[in-house]
Amino acid sequence: MMSSERRPSMAERRPSIMGPLSPHVEHRGSNLMVPHLAGLEDPLPDSTPGNVDVVIVGTGLVESILAAALSWQGSNVLHIDANTYYGDSSATLTIDQLKQWVQDVNSDKMKFYENAKLHVSGAIRNGKYSSRDFGIDLSPKILFAKSDLLSILVKSRVHQYLEFQSLSSFHTFENDSFEKLTNTKQEIFTDPSLPLMTKRNLMKFIKFVLDWESQTEIWASYAEAPIATFLVEKFKLDKAQVYELIFSIGLCYNIDVKTPEALQRIRRYLISFDVYGPFPVLYSKYGGPGELSQGFCRSAAVAGATYRLNLKFISYDPITKMALFSDGSKVSVTEKVVVAPTQSSDNSMNVPEQKYEVQRLTCVVEKPCTEWFAEGENASVVVFPPDSLKSGNKQAVQALVMGSGSDICPKGTSVWYLSTTQSGPRGELDLDAALEALEESIIRESSADLENDENILQVGSNGHFVLNSVKLGQSFKEYIPREKLQFLMKLYYKQFTSTPPFEVVDPSIFDLNSTDDDRLIPGASDNAVLYTSPPSAEISYDEAITAAKVLFQRIVGSDDDFFDIDFEDEDDTEKLNESAITDDENMNMTLDTGMSVEPVEFAGEMEI
Amino acid sequence: MNTSVTSIKLVLLGEAAVGKSSIVLRFVSNDFSENKEPTIGAAFLTQRVNMGDHTIKFEIWDTAGQERFASLAPMYYRNAQAALVVYDITKPQSFIKARHWVKELHEQASKGIVIALVGNKLDLIEGGAERKVAREEAEKLATEEGLLFFETSAKTGDNVNEVFLGIGQKIPLKKPDEQSQGSSGLRINDDNRVDLAAGGPGSSNAGACNC
Repeated sequence: MMSSERRPSMAERRPSIMGPLSPHVEHRGSNLMVPHLAGLEDPLPDSTPGNVDVVIVGTGLVESILAAALSWQGSNVLHIDANTYYGDSSATLTIDQLKQWVQDVNSDKMKFYENAKLHVSGAIRNGKYSSRDFGIDLSPKILFAKSDLLSILVKSRVHQYLEFQSLSSFHTFENDSFEKLTNTKQEIFTDPSLPLMTKRNLMKFIKFVLDWESQTEIWASYAEAPIATFLVEKFKLDKAQVYELIFSIGLCYNIDVKTPEALQRIRRYLISFDVYGPFPVLYSKYGGPGELSQGFCRSAAVAGATYRLNLKFISYDPITKMALFSDGSKVSVTEKVVVAPTQSSDNSMNVPEQKYEVQRLTCVVEKPCTEWFAEGENASVVVFPPDSLKSGNKQAVQALVMGSGSDICPKGTSVWYLSTTQSGPRGELDLDAALEALEESIIRESSADLENDENILQVGSNGHFVLNSVKLGQSFKEYIPREKLQFLMKLYYKQFTSTPPFEVVDPSIFDLNSTDDDRLIPGASDNAVLYTSPPSAEISYDEAITAAKVLFQRIVGSDDDFFDIDFEDEDDTEKLNESAITDDENMNMTLDTGMSVEPVEFAGEMEI
Repeated sequence: MNTSVTSIKLVLLGEAAVGKSSIVLRFVSNDFSENKEPTIGAAFLTQRVNMGDHTIKFEIWDTAGQERFASLAPMYYRNAQAALVVYDITKPQSFIKARHWVKELHEQASKGIVIALVGNKLDLIEGGAERKVAREEAEKLATEEGLLFFETSAKTGDNVNEVFLGIGQKIPLKKPDEQSQGSSGLRINDDNRVDLAAGGPGSSNAGACNC
């Protein structure tokens, strides 16, 4: 809105591309743009268009957000995917699709994945469960209630295609057991295990961190110091609280994280609390990024984008501006070709280096695991801080546990998503150690045998039940589960990404493409192609919008029109207006995460 | 009881140019319900229909062209309670395609989905064009597969409202006690659902800052 020399948006340059306006939509403000509603006014042709503004290859989350943003901005988008499903590296897959995916990884057909090992139990093969009862995410994510992606979901109305559930249960694994996080003011006050001084120090810190940036005098001398030093020296916090703050609330990867970055991450959690209710994060039912990708793709399609799955990108020639596909079809491209590294063409020579490893272990277990969820919820986060596991892990292992209420698995089962940034063979050892800890814990916690064991609970002479405490103690010590935990599925894989395990999102992380469009490598099939960033190890969606915006800006010339749309809505015109006001005022939002521009709202509730 | 509103997700299926969208546009722009104009937003079209002592709110999902290259997302079918499978009575090919969509719905959609088979472009016959799909043939398919069946003209509006009324009558209405069943497997549990438009920026605890 500020730069006078910004390149005119594509819509401005070619206003004729717009379809007829729908008669039912009122104009509201000069920014309102109602694109041609695909399929509503005119029947669509059965062939791929011969000329488009932008070709996007891969339907991962970043690509899908970009497709929707460009389509609503007025660009003519062809969005394809080599797979038969939506989502690419963000996909949500059935068991059968996973099997195929693993085969593709191990036969080098799926780029930037390695070492996939899949075990599927007979219970799924033989029909007790069916493949389609499961929706397994390749890169599971949680959504902070105050985040740029959430604002875009609301603004674009894509949230109407999805169902969201809350997640408030965060556990830290310590001394062989799970500590439930004391993360609310009420819990801090009522937690009997916390000494009064600790409570006071914790509250003091929480109050500080909500507005940490402006209080330079408190942290300036720690700007280069690890957060743990700062917390111990400045706020006199104990190790247990320090670890909770860094690893469960901050979801940081290791103990070396610097003070300002960790403060920002801790703040992210706290400002998200109580936005929709007493929980900091949400997730979408039926699957995470895979569902969101589908939602943004649908939104793009409504705005006129053309979709084709099962079509590979072969090459792009920046001189003739022709893109070629696996079925022999060609399309002339006015602006850009955007490609996910996972779907890059043969003879591609411009793909940015994908040097960061994410190791994942995903299991489906035949246990509902409700013990770990808050009441009425269906998911929880379990964090294994560095050095908390038998393997002596140096990096944290993060686990997202989801129950059948999230509709990604059938009743009586749950999905455990474990991940770590630890590279090399150590990564798998850490994941195994974390899995073992989870397994032991759920067997211990869910064991109903204990209470019903006749030797422990005996009927006394007066007919009442008497607890045999000697045997109970013995039983706890020597408890050997009668039944081992049933694993319905176990999947290991290593993923590579260009995105480092970042602490705070910064556009520069995603700005990997050469700015020199004339740089042509002879024989390369991907000259002048823009590459997207595959999902990182980050467990939240923090990178998605920033990554999409960086590309949007490269293509359009500015990000002013990034989801600059306004919809009419029947029931909730009032609600819409409320949120529209907020959005409009934040229109000139920086490429920042959005975290730093939001007002501090959580602070309103704090009193010490 | 007289203010109860049931939301129904309805999806459209059928070959290109059979008039899927025209049927919906005809339906939503009619004065047929007392409701005002339909809403065209990013998400879907909505239209309310009053049926005696309750109201049905149709949330109508157009394919948005994603069916053209067999690239409809699983999300499209998910939790759809009703579907219109549309064909053109002057185009036999479109009827073959309709059979395909019915099969696809049985595979992909939820078990209790109400499907209406709709033969469109009745006005062309009245205008002298030759009918290529016999009414009996379509009726047979409908009986075999348990579908509602209508022949319509989106152009004249003939029989269009009847399609939606027919669906409305066949949809089991949610009884108040069913909603609180909680997380019982595959049913939607409304109790734990978070409405993103309801909370969010500015609506909660803003302005109460005292520090």
